[in-house]
Amino acid sequence: MTYLWPDGLPIQVESDEQGAPLCFTWEGTHKVDNIANRWRVDDDWWRGRVWREYFKLTTDTGLLVILFRDVLSGDWFLQRLYD
Amino acid sequence: MMEYIELHCHSNFSLLDGASHPETLVEQAARLGMSALALTDHDAVYGVVRFVQAARQHGIKAILGAELTLADGAHLTLLVENATGWRSLCHLISLARHNAPKGEASLPYDILADHTEGLIALSGCRQGEMARALRRDDQTGAIAAARRYYDLFGSEHFWIELQHHLLPEDNELVTGLARLARDLRLGYVATNNVHYATRADHRLQDVLVCIRHNTTIEQSAHLRRPNSEYYLKPAQRMAPLFAAYPGALANTLHIAERCDFELQAGLQDLPCFPTPPGMDSATYLRHLCQVGLNRRYAETATDILARLDYELAVIQRAGLANYFLIVWDLVHFARASGIRCQGRGSAANSLVAYLLDITPVDPLALDLVFERFLSDERQMAPDIDIDFQADRREEVIQYVYEKYGADHTGMACTFVTFRARSALRDVGKALGLPLHLVDQSARVLDTHQAGRITDSPRLQEMLGESSRTAPWRQAITLCREIDDFPRHLSIHNGGMIITGPPLAERVPTEPATMPGRVVVQWDKDSLEDAGLVKIDLLGLRMLSAIAEALDLIEVSTGQRPDLDGLCFDDSVVYDLISQADTIGVFQVESRAQSQMQPLFQPRGLADLVVAISLIRPGPIQGNMVHPYLRRRLGNESVTYPDPRLEGALAETLGVILFQEQVLKVARDLAGFSAGQGELLRRALGSKHAGAALEKLHAAFVAGAEAQGVSAVTAERIFEALRAFGCYSFPKSHAAAFAVLVYQSAWLKRYYPAALYAALLNHQPMGFWSPAVLAGDARRHGIPVLPVDVARSEVRCTVENGGVRLGLLYVKGLGETGAARLVDTRQSQTFVDLTDLCRRTQLPPRLVEHLILAGALDSWGIPRRKLLWTLGKLHYPVDTLALDFADDGVRLPLLSTLEKLSLEQELLGLFPGVHLLELYRPWLVEHGMSSSVDIKNSAPNDSVRVVGLLVVHQAPPTAKGFHFLTLEDEYGLMDVIVRPNLYRSFARVLHTAGILAVRGVIQRSGAVINVLAGHVAAVLLPDETAQLDAKGAD
Repeated sequence: MTYLWPDGLPIQVESDEQGAPLCFTWEGTHKVDNIANRWRVDDDWWRGRVWREYFKLTTDTGLLVILFRDVLSGDWFLQRLYD
Repeated sequence: MMEYIELHCHSNFSLLDGASHPETLVEQAARLGMSALALTDHDAVYGVVRFVQAARQHGIKAILGAELTLADGAHLTLLVENATGWRSLCHLISLARHNAPKGEASLPYDILADHTEGLIALSGCRQGEMARALRRDDQTGAIAAARRYYDLFGSEHFWIELQHHLLPEDNELVTGLARLARDLRLGYVATNNVHYATRADHRLQDVLVCIRHNTTIEQSAHLRRPNSEYYLKPAQRMAPLFAAYPGALANTLHIAERCDFELQAGLQDLPCFPTPPGMDSATYLRHLCQVGLNRRYAETATDILARLDYELAVIQRAGLANYFLIVWDLVHFARASGIRCQGRGSAANSLVAYLLDITPVDPLALDLVFERFLSDERQMAPDIDIDFQADRREEVIQYVYEKYGADHTGMACTFVTFRARSALRDVGKALGLPLHLVDQSARVLDTHQAGRITDSPRLQEMLGESSRTAPWRQAITLCREIDDFPRHLSIHNGGMIITGPPLAERVPTEPATMPGRVVVQWDKDSLEDAGLVKIDLLGLRMLSAIAEALDLIEVSTGQRPDLDGLCFDDSVVYDLISQADTIGVFQVESRAQSQMQPLFQPRGLADLVVAISLIRPGPIQGNMVHPYLRRRLGNESVTYPDPRLEGALAETLGVILFQEQVLKVARDLAGFSAGQGELLRRALGSKHAGAALEKLHAAFVAGAEAQGVSAVTAERIFEALRAFGCYSFPKSHAAAFAVLVYQSAWLKRYYPAALYAALLNHQPMGFWSPAVLAGDARRHGIPVLPVDVARSEVRCTVENGGVRLGLLYVKGLGETGAARLVDTRQSQTFVDLTDLCRRTQLPPRLVEHLILAGALDSWGIPRRKLLWTLGKLHYPVDTLALDFADDGVRLPLLSTLEKLSLEQELLGLFPGVHLLELYRPWLVEHGMSSSVDIKNSAPNDSVRVVGLLVVHQAPPTAKGFHFLTLEDEYGLMDVIVRPNLYRSFARVLHTAGILAVRGVIQRSGAVINVLAGHVAAVLLPDETAQLDAKGAD
């Protein structure tokens, strides 16, 4: 089962100097174990820019998730949870 | 501190892909502290020369290269290590281009193997062969490919290229490539496949991709790059991406250091022109000059001989004797083949060029300075541009190809760049804006520069509120950014490059649209900067018209005037020009020129040189026209911005008119050398000079101050130079054109019918339409006889002192149709319509055009009747000739207005009477003045005039003023429309054929303008036409 939030679910994230997440809060606190991938999207500028940095990561709580940071606002969102 | 040099970078010369000018990339690289930058456009070195110049300006090293497309579409990055590498690159690009359709490239692998020397290869982007294999999980394929390149280039010259753009699959790809490098013991190096200078430019890159694929931004997600990471990144941005790969960044410096090739400007190796036995090129050149000397001058004064000796010595020291022989040979070929030609441009500064018949201008008579053409200091082969009669220029080009061989001959390219309209159309379309609105908006733009679109009030007016919506604002912003981007490649009109060694060793070539033609990858500016001489073989229709006029004179009089022997001293010819009777005369026929002539009153060739130099954007923008005229007439004293400039500007009464004077002003005021002056002249005229011009500006002011000129004066004079720009003629160029002015005026004065006929045969050319030329002929008592199938030839001819229109003037008939009529007529004249149709078998539509154009009027049968008959005819095989019972039907005659409008539509002019002549009583009744009436009016008189709108101009220098020319049966009337009036009446002015203007008279001597206060379209009432029995049918 995979949970998907197409526009992202706002969450609280702590990150390091390079902007990579260290831990986040969603139904409890999860410490980042390993970042499997990191990528950026910058598109839709003609409508309202979608500029996001994505992280696919595992947590010490055993989750595999995709988070993204809205680069313009700095806000974090949970987009996908692999169960 | 970590350092990084970008080795994979595309400029906007990766057409419709790269989104920054080469200069912008260099500026940004310098800002980021890069000590070098590579330019690797797709299969091209189009931007290399501009790139090298910008790099020199910013003190960073320019690494040349290209991203080559291989036979299966794979990419390979190539960098030039040394001079051999440059030759290899030129060969490879040329071969790839010639192996693919126009605009594409595809290099077979086996050919790559022959030209790897001196090149450093990087494994390429995601489209590189190894990356492609890894992306489809083909490890073996990746290894095999890498081995192959390793074998071709050697381990020192082949590097695995690592690119990380923060795409989801990049980690895996980079890991795979690095592993490949390690396994094969190859080096790896980081690059960023740069497509734009800064992140913000990715929007423009997206739009360019849409334009290239002819799609919209919404529909192109699969074609566009998913993010904005392809910008020129500094080391600190690149370092985190390649943290796991030590040396990936440092290797960029290592490779950059090894690339040690500088594009040297130098004389190209021209082919060696064959000389007679026992003569080298210098001796042969002297011999030819001697022959010319005896022909050109009755007696050779010592000053002439001294000048010749001097010029020959300079030419020899520069090693250019061979070059002169090549040009002489072209001209010699043309003359021997009866093709009229003459050099334009700075060649006229040279006595040698005059003696070799390259130019018709005697430099001694017009005080033209040889150093402007060639000097010991400026040892570049001078550009020699030659005008040939346009209809036969191709023969000369063919001659060059045959003489020197296709591998040694090419044409300069030219870049069609985005201008206001094309930018708005393409960008608007890419952004998915409504096409009809985009199209309408593009049409109302009143600027040519895409960068100034926001300034267009008409656009704001048209779009109203929507101009403030986000999509339109984005479109306008992007248009500003795309300004002057190269859009596609085209062939330069006549710029030929000839080399001794194969051309492809100096610069890549690619196929042109015309089969068998190649273009080189540099435009004329790049060629000049790289020291490759092009010889411009230009087509000039006036030369064609003059050649044909001479033929027509010979046919009708049995004698051929010696036009080239004229002495430029016939006062009657100058009277004609001074009276502004110049329609059909080269250059001085334009509205602005002809308005000036009565004030200017030219009396010699030198005056004509000044006259045609005055009405140019440079002198106009620099506000030099009126001061010059006032000084010439003695209404203002001659002064100089600084006494030191008297020497430079005395010949033009203290104003700057000629390009050469920029050099003189810079020399006398700021102590510039001729070389510096030349740099300044070119920077003033270049759109890309920016920083270079500012440096020269500073040097100019500093130089002037050092000579005791105040900074204020120096600045003022520099600003004048800047306004003057280079939109002006060199004196020598104007001199060559002045010869044509004189020759065409001479023909108009003595053989007007032949000149009119010839001009009508070479349309479109010059300033005026065929209709205005025909009207002018009539006013000079030269009848313009209608097209007549019994008498007209294919082209216009002279018949009993009048001009007989040629069959080609009938719309749609074309060369074939016209020739068929003439050929068929030769065996027997046409007796009636049936006979004509059966024997010529021309399609009925064309016969209809002949009828309505009046070409069959000589049979005395009304045109409608002929049409009726045509409808019944069956041909070519007439076996069903039925007798129609309705043959006796009474058809209404065409009204005169109907006749005239059909003639206008089918011929483009009225052969018989002027339209307004028929309406004069009606116009008088309505209080309208004619062009004759207003000649007698006083300044500030109110007038109402009516005429056909024959010219509508709004030159960019006129600050929103529009200039109209109206024609009636007596002549022309000039109308000035103020910007605010234009705004109110734009629609009328752009749609009306016949215009009524209410306004006041402005006079300056014989020059009359109507300053418009109101304009309206005129609809001529058909029923009030003064039908006379002869006019109607």
